[in-house]
Amino acid sequence: MTVNVRGKVLPLLAASALALGVAACGGGDSADDAGNTGTSDLSGELTASGASFPDAYYQVAIEAYAEVAPEVVINYNSTGSGTGKKEFGEGLTDFAGTDSLVGDDDPVEPGSFLYVPTVAAPITVSYNLPGVEGLQLGQETLAQIFQGDIETWNDPAIAEANPDAELPDTPITIAHRSDGSGTTTNFTKFLDEATESWELGSGDVVEWPSDSQGGEKNTGVASIIQQTEGAIGYVDLADATGSELVFAAVENADGEFVMPSIAGTTAGLEGAEVAEDLSYNPLNAAGADAYPITAPTYILVRTSYEDPQTAELVKAFLTWLLTDGQALAEDEFFAPLPDSLAEQALAQLDKIQS
Amino acid sequence: MTATATPAREGAARSRPDLGKSALPFRRRFANRGMTVLIAACLLLAILPLGLVVYEVVSRGAGVMSLEFLTADIPRNYRREGPGMGAAVVGTLVITGMAALLAIPLGVMGAIYLNEYGKQSALARFIRTMADVMTGVPSIVMGLFIYVTWVLAIGEKNGFGGALALACLMLPIVIRSSEEMLRLVPDELRQASAALGARKWRTIVTVVLPSAISGITSGSLLAVARAAGETAPIIVTVGIAFAANPDLFDGGNTTLAAQIYRNASLTFAGAQDRAWGAALTLIAIVLLFTIIARLIAARFALKER
Repeated sequence: MTVNVRGKVLPLLAASALALGVAACGGGDSADDAGNTGTSDLSGELTASGASFPDAYYQVAIEAYAEVAPEVVINYNSTGSGTGKKEFGEGLTDFAGTDSLVGDDDPVEPGSFLYVPTVAAPITVSYNLPGVEGLQLGQETLAQIFQGDIETWNDPAIAEANPDAELPDTPITIAHRSDGSGTTTNFTKFLDEATESWELGSGDVVEWPSDSQGGEKNTGVASIIQQTEGAIGYVDLADATGSELVFAAVENADGEFVMPSIAGTTAGLEGAEVAEDLSYNPLNAAGADAYPITAPTYILVRTSYEDPQTAELVKAFLTWLLTDGQALAEDEFFAPLPDSLAEQALAQLDKIQS
Repeated sequence: MTATATPAREGAARSRPDLGKSALPFRRRFANRGMTVLIAACLLLAILPLGLVVYEVVSRGAGVMSLEFLTADIPRNYRREGPGMGAAVVGTLVITGMAALLAIPLGVMGAIYLNEYGKQSALARFIRTMADVMTGVPSIVMGLFIYVTWVLAIGEKNGFGGALALACLMLPIVIRSSEEMLRLVPDELRQASAALGARKWRTIVTVVLPSAISGITSGSLLAVARAAGETAPIIVTVGIAFAANPDLFDGGNTTLAAQIYRNASLTFAGAQDRAWGAALTLIAIVLLFTIIARLIAARFALKER
């Protein structure tokens, strides 16, 4: 693999990139090119895998990045956060996507990686109930539904919040992720923190009620919901919209029923507190407009790369993703980061040693 | 002959006896007709699933089939409609091709050892048993085996890992089927060759192998076809590619089977169309190889008389 890093780029990016030392001539072999005016021609290949939740956005972003840096090939394999972290820890990938933080069970060495937040998005509670739209679900009701305490759609707890809906006595089928998933982590973390009735804990994998159905990745859950009358499940907004699913309005911390939307997510992000390692928790944030199940998503990068050119490529791509790339997010149903967080994330990239 | 001929001749002398079916008692005619119908129905029933599969794949896959579909890159965004399986077509050809290159020569030579040299020795019997056991090993186990021994060792997912996993799957099938074919070659041929002064290796190369080549080809093809359709070991070993990557040793790759799995599990219409198109492409590729290999085998086989 020949990596030839010179210095290139978009006027917009150039300033911040220079400031971060990203446009530094990592390849070095042709850095003395006289006509080089601080823009870089990167080339090389990056391999990545992980979260399926931001996959729709990442793929679109990677495609757009190919126009900026045509010689860089980036392959992001949507495998779920669990596999992403595992392959990253085994050194198979250059960076990983994950919606959940690295836990003790994950084979990633502490201190060897950095979190780079990229975008955020609402997790919808999607359901398949012909003729019933605009369902409103309280937080406690949601917890009871997903742990199997509420078994039919005409349960009084659901009916109470939806006086106008004609609820059938269809049994409820819970659709959940079968693979290790950051979406599961965020969804169950929300139920765990926000409700009293939730008893299943939270994590990449949770012990769901035995009569529930597991699907692989967000799209797998979406297809279960699409095909099963009476099903309910949690799916990212992009896949739920793409699969034409109907989703419910969920009660937020202020007691309002809010439909998942980008605006509601942005509102949730603003209320979130960012930790030192740049992990943050926008779940159940305060604010009347905030959608309560808002999930962050991160890219895991190594603090040091064996190959300095890989480090340059990772930095260059993520710098672009956090600046120009953010503009692509909304069209794909993801919320861009608030400016302050994006700046912190850019600063985080500086810690990558090469 | 004479026993049956005699009454016929006698009959011809008098009046020709009726040997047609109508001469049989009703019960036997009924049983005969009934059984014929039953067997024909069983045949129909047996080819029904095959026919339905082909019909379904063709009717759903033909719509998206085009030259562009076979060559264009796979769209990164699964929601998008339209073509692109080029990366998977290239991946299937190079990965399965490399697997065949690894497994078939090795397997055939192993079979020659077993049948011509090892025979019933302890080592040969042990290898035979192990090959049988290996045939039954689920493909995902082979995938994980290669993941641990190859992918983790070199620190990258690439096409060659997939080829290794597929080769491991093909090897026992090639060994066992080739050995069966070699066993069918009559010993008289070997003895005749030896009587003419040919050494053992010469006998094997010029007499035994050509006599068995047609069967060995069939067995190897069966293995190739099975390997081309494998999904699980590919998913754990080769990673992903969206643009065609003919380099087995650098960068991720993908195959048609893996793409069928990936796209079919999505809810988007565009992805499902691509999955059907990929299924049709895979069937066509396997069919094409079968025909080519049959032609080659027919050319090299000893002419029967």
